[in-house]
Amino acid sequence: MLAPGGILLDLRPASVHRRIGIARSARTRPVGVMRERFEDERSADRAVARVVREGWLEVERRLRFPCRRLVDSVDEFRTFLDDFTGRHGEPLHDWLVRRLERALEARRAGRVRTRIAIDGPLDLAVLRKLDARAPRARVSRSSRRRPRAPAA
Amino acid sequence: MAYVVDLERREVKALRRVAPWRGKRVIEIGCGDGRLTLRIARLGARVLAIDPDAASIRTARRSLPERLAGRVRYRVMKAQRIAIARESFDLALFSWSL
Repeated sequence: MLAPGGILLDLRPASVHRRIGIARSARTRPVGVMRERFEDERSADRAVARVVREGWLEVERRLRFPCRRLVDSVDEFRTFLDDFTGRHGEPLHDWLVRRLERALEARRAGRVRTRIAIDGPLDLAVLRKLDARAPRARVSRSSRRRPRAPAA
Repeated sequence: MAYVVDLERREVKALRRVAPWRGKRVIEIGCGDGRLTLRIARLGARVLAIDPDAASIRTARRSLPERLAGRVRYRVMKAQRIAIARESFDLALFSWSL
């Protein structure tokens, strides 16, 4: 699928607990921090580590940068949360929703638009496909377990 | 739903920093509603964007501007069943999907 020398880019949220706040004009008031388990992220990290270990790809570069998501209402925030709580028994965040509702209630007065900000960095890994004819370090589990005996 | 992701376009700025996109053949895996697909296509790439969710692909197709139609194709497809053996790509992008 990937041409020789092709690049695989793995872009995804970093395993960092997301910060939730109320954004109003240029300011953001913190409300709470989510508590995710990052099971999917760890599993993806293992998959990447494996293809690198087996010599299919090599990591050229890694970047981390901030990313903000904005939603207009608590209902929309709940929809966003469902994505997490539905996976691997992630903890419910009812306490965070209640806190948000209170914070929004207190800040809805006035004409300035108020939104819910979800802040969490993204990780970008750049992996280059190695030439299939010259694998760098394609090591199978069995060969790692049984190293070749030294020449007599 | 007014759900805005990455208003500052930091994702696409990072993607531009790490790879050349103009004229490249790109497969985007997990394109969702095509938010990032359009940004990549605007960098000059030719993109095959896949997602297993048919509703997301319908949304993506609806929001595809005519001027990018020649550079973007959407397909309902799971990453595990990429049925494009005859095609090869310069870049593969896992969009929040690995």
